[in-house]
Amino acid sequence: MAREKIMEVRDLSISFKTTTGIVNAIRGVDMDLYRGETVAIVGESGSGKSVTAKAMMGILASNSIVNSGTVKFTYNDNGGESKTVDILKMSKNEIRRDINGKHIAMVFQDPMTSLDPTMTIGKQITESMIWHYKTPKAEAEAKALELLELVGITDPEKRMKNYPHQLSGGMRQRVVIAIAMACDPDLLICDEPTTALDVTIQARILELIKDIQVKKNISVIYITHDLGVVAKVADYVDVMYAGKLVEKGTVDEIFYEPRHPYTWGLLSAMPDLDTRDDRLYTIPGSPPTLKNEIKGDAFAPRNKYALNIDTRIDPPMFKMSDTHYAATWLLDDRAPTHDMPPEIKGRIERMLKEENK
Amino acid sequence: MNKYQIASDNFDMDSIEFLPNDFEFIGNKPEEHIDSNFASQDYWKDVFIRFKKNKGAVIGFILLVFITIMAVIGPMVSGYTFDQQKIEFQDFAPRVPGLEKIGVFDGSEVMRSPGGGSSRVINKYKTTEGAADVYYWFGTDNLGRDIWTRTWMGTRISLIIAVSAVLIDMAIGMSYGLIAGYFGGWVDNIMQRVLEVVNSIPTLVIVTLLMLVFKPGLFTIILALMVSGWVGMSRIARAQMLKLKEQEFVLASRTFGAGSWHIIFSEVLPNIIGQIITNTMFSIPNAIFTEAFLSFVGLGIPAPQASLGSLISSGYNSFTTHPYQILPPLIVLALLMLCCNMVADGLRDALDPKMAQM
Amino acid sequence: MKKYIAERLGTAFVTILVIIFVLFAMMQFMPGSPFNDEKLSRELIEKLNEKYGLNQPLYVQFFKYVKNVAKFDFGISYVINKNISINLMLKTRVPTSMRIGLQAVSVGAVIGLLLGIIAALKHNTFWDNLTTVISVLGVSVPSYVFALLMLYTFAYRLGWFPLLYTKTEPFRSSLLPTFALSMFTIASIARFTRTEMLEVLDSDYMLLVESKGISGPALIFRHALRNALIPIVTVLGPLVVGLMTGSLVVEKIFSIPGMGALMTAAIQANDYNVTIAMTYIYSVMYIIIMLVVDLLYGVIDPRIRLAKEDSGE
Repeated sequence: MAREKIMEVRDLSISFKTTTGIVNAIRGVDMDLYRGETVAIVGESGSGKSVTAKAMMGILASNSIVNSGTVKFTYNDNGGESKTVDILKMSKNEIRRDINGKHIAMVFQDPMTSLDPTMTIGKQITESMIWHYKTPKAEAEAKALELLELVGITDPEKRMKNYPHQLSGGMRQRVVIAIAMACDPDLLICDEPTTALDVTIQARILELIKDIQVKKNISVIYITHDLGVVAKVADYVDVMYAGKLVEKGTVDEIFYEPRHPYTWGLLSAMPDLDTRDDRLYTIPGSPPTLKNEIKGDAFAPRNKYALNIDTRIDPPMFKMSDTHYAATWLLDDRAPTHDMPPEIKGRIERMLKEENK
Repeated sequence: MNKYQIASDNFDMDSIEFLPNDFEFIGNKPEEHIDSNFASQDYWKDVFIRFKKNKGAVIGFILLVFITIMAVIGPMVSGYTFDQQKIEFQDFAPRVPGLEKIGVFDGSEVMRSPGGGSSRVINKYKTTEGAADVYYWFGTDNLGRDIWTRTWMGTRISLIIAVSAVLIDMAIGMSYGLIAGYFGGWVDNIMQRVLEVVNSIPTLVIVTLLMLVFKPGLFTIILALMVSGWVGMSRIARAQMLKLKEQEFVLASRTFGAGSWHIIFSEVLPNIIGQIITNTMFSIPNAIFTEAFLSFVGLGIPAPQASLGSLISSGYNSFTTHPYQILPPLIVLALLMLCCNMVADGLRDALDPKMAQM
Repeated sequence: MKKYIAERLGTAFVTILVIIFVLFAMMQFMPGSPFNDEKLSRELIEKLNEKYGLNQPLYVQFFKYVKNVAKFDFGISYVINKNISINLMLKTRVPTSMRIGLQAVSVGAVIGLLLGIIAALKHNTFWDNLTTVISVLGVSVPSYVFALLMLYTFAYRLGWFPLLYTKTEPFRSSLLPTFALSMFTIASIARFTRTEMLEVLDSDYMLLVESKGISGPALIFRHALRNALIPIVTVLGPLVVGLMTGSLVVEKIFSIPGMGALMTAAIQANDYNVTIAMTYIYSVMYIIIMLVVDLLYGVIDPRIRLAKEDSGE
C-alpha cells in the first residue's frame, strides 16, 4: 500500500519576541508524516519540539514570528476530496474553521489544567462536533458516550454530567483524548501526554492512544523527552536539539544504530536495570539559550566527541539510509575513527539479546 | 565522495574551506563543562533591574521621595508656621515671586457666580493694607494661615500616621498569619475563626467606634488603623506559610532539629518578604485614605494640627469661592496615593516576573 | 455544599452577636447618660431610665438590647432630631442611599467589565494602557476627590447638573454622586477583570479549546469570560465597603439625605444612639452582602458546589 503523506514540514524557522530579546526557537526543521504512522519528536525541554507541534496546530503564541518554512497538511475535506494546505499561510480564523479539532487535534501535557473547569465533560466533548458540523445535540451526545467508552471510562452517562475536578488525572487525560477524537481527526498531536501521570496509568494511556490509532487509522505525533515512551509507540523518531533536527530514523535505527552523540546521550538516560551506575554516559551542561546566533554545531560545547570544525560550521544532514539521517561531522569521511560510548554499545547488545530471546 | 550522502538541500560542501585540524577531536572534558546559560544572578539585583524598567513605578518612586522631602522641609522654608493666624490676611489667593510677573500666581482671583454667569477679578494683596510685599505661595485659608505650610505639615502628619500604622500592621498581621499557617490544626482553626469575625466587621465601623471612645489624636488614629488593617497581611502570610512549610528546605531544617520559631522567622520569612513588602506598599495608600476620610468626617486630628484630610475638609467649605484652598492638599493626597500604588504595582511585578508579563 | 452554607451562616450569626455585644459595651463606656440634659428634673430622668430599662441590671439590659436590635428598633435620636425615632429618620434615607448605591454598582460593574475585557483582549495596546491608567487612578484617588472635582467642573462652572441633590430631580441630581462613587468600582473591576482574563486566556484549557477550533465570541464568552468572572465575584465584598465609605463623604458633599449623611451628621453631633444604630445597620448590611457573595461564589463555581460529593476514579 502506498504511503499517503499527510504532513510535510520544510525549513521551518520560528522566533519569539521576549522581554529579554529574540529567541530563535526553531532553526530550519524538516519533517514528514504519513497516514496511520507514528512519529515521535524527542528532545530536552527548550529543544523546540513543542513549538514545532504548535506550529502544525496553528496555535503559536502571539509573540512568535515565523521566519521561513512551510507546513503542508493534506486532508480529505467534507466531499472526500484530498486537499493540501500550508498551515503557515492560513489565517488564524481559517485554521480554526478548517483544521483545528476537525483534522488535527491535540492532547496536552497536563490533564489537571487542560480541561475547562466550569463546563461539564459532556459539553466539552460535544462542543466541537456542534461547532464544526452543526451536529444535533442528541446525536453529538450519543457520540460523546461512545467516545467515553472508547477511551475506557466506566459509567459514561454519569461522567457526561461531571465537571473536570470530579475526575482523577488519568480519567481526565482519557477525557482529553475523547475530546480530541470528537471530530475524527486525521492527525493527533500528543504533547507529553503521560509525563504528568502516574507510571501505572502512563502505560494504559499509551496503549489507549495506540488502540485508537489502529481503529481509526490516524497519524500520531508524540512529543516527548522520554525514550521509553518512544520505544513503545513510535514508528519513526526525530531527535531535536536547540531548534534543529540532529537525527531521524525508524525506531529501530535510532535505538540500535544511533549515530549522533546527542542521541547516545538520550539513550543512556533511559532507565535500564542492567546499567551499572559507574558507567553512565551523561550529557553535561544544559541546552544553549537560543537568544544569540549560534556559530557551528549547537551541541559542540557539551559534546565529548566534538571536532574542531563543529565550532565553526554547522554540520549538514548525512544520509545513512532512506529513513536514517544524522547531522554530525563524525559522519564525514575525514572524521577520525571513533566508536559510540561503550556503555551504549553494551546496552544495545543487551537489547538485541532481549529481542532474540 | 563521502560514504554518506549529504541530504541537506542548501548545503555546499565545496564552498567550505577546511582547516587542517578540522577533523580532530577538540577533546572536550565534559566534567569541566561550566554551565553558563543559567548563571545565577542575585535575586535582589534582578528585582532592582526589573523595577527600573517600569517607568510608572520609577516616576512614582521619584515623586514619592519628592513629596516626603517636601513634607520634611516644606514647612520650614515658607517663613510661616502652620498655626499662625492673621485674620486680616484671610482668603488670599496664591502669589509666587517671579511667576506673578507673567500673570499667574499673582495673588488675584476670579469671583464667580454659580453657572459661569458674571465674574470679576480681585486681588487682596493690593486692597489689603500692608500686604503689598507679602507672598503666600499657596494662598491663605479663612483664618489667614499659610496653606503652603499647612499642606506640607498635613502631608507630614498623614505620612507619619500611614507609615507607622502600616508597620505595626505588618508586624501583627505577619506574625499572626505565620503562626496560624505554621502550626495549623486547631490553632489555625481558632485563629481563622477569630480572623473571620474581625474581618466581617467593616473597617469603617471599627475605626468609627474606636474614635468615638478615645479622644481624637495622632495615637488614636494609628490605633484605629492598626486594629483594622492587619487582616489582609495575615492572610497573605498564612497562605505563603502553608505553601512553603511543606517544601524541602523547611523539612530539611526540621530534620536538623530546628525549632518552630527558627523555621518561621529565619527560614520561611525571608522567602516571603517580597510579598510582605508589596502588600505593605499597597496598605500605605489605604491608611492615608482612611485617615483623610476620618478627618473629613470630623474624627481626625484636632485643630490647629492638620492632616491632608482635615485640610481638604476645611477647604471644602469654601471650595466654590476659593478653590485654591482645597487644591494643594487634594493634589498632594491624590499624588501620594497614586504614587504608592504605582510603586507597589512595580514592586509586585519586579518581585514576581510571572505577573509582569500579564 | 449544605455544610458550607451552614458554616457561613453560623459565622455570620456569631459575628452579628459579637457586634451587638461590642456596641452594647460601647454604650456603657460612652461618657454621660443619654438624659444628661440639665433641664430634666431628677424624677424625670429616673422615669426615663425606667422607661428605657436603664435602671435594671446590665445583663437584663443586654438581653433587652439584643431583642430590640434584632427587631431593628434602635430607640430615638437624642441630638439631631430630638426624640424622633431613628427608624422614622431612616425611612426615607435607606431607599435614597440604596438607589444611589445600586446605580453606582451597576455603572461601575458594566463599565469596569467592558474595560477589563477590552484591555485583556487588546493586551499591550492603547486600550490596555488606557484601562491601566483609569484603574490606577480610580483605585488610588479617593471618591470624594472625584466628587469635589466633578461638582466644581460640571455643576458649579458649567452648570450642567444641579449643585446639590434635590428631591424634585432625583435622577439628574444623583448622576454626579453616582459617577463619583462608581469610580472605585469601575477601577477595581476593570483591573481585576483584566488580570483574570489574561490569566485565563493564557491557560492550558483555553489552548485546548482553541485546538478544538473554537474561536470568536464563543471562545471569549463561553470559556474565557465564564472562568474569569468567577473570581471577580470575590472583589464584590471590598467594593461594597468602598461604596459604604465613599457614600459617607459623597452624600455629605452633595447634601444627599441618605444613610451616609446621617451617620456623618451623627458622628459630628456626638449623637451616640444614632451613630451606634448606623454602625449596626452598616455591619449587618456588610455581613449579609459578604454572605451572599460567598454563597454566590459557591453556586457559580462547580468546584465548590460539587466539592467532596464525588471524587471520581
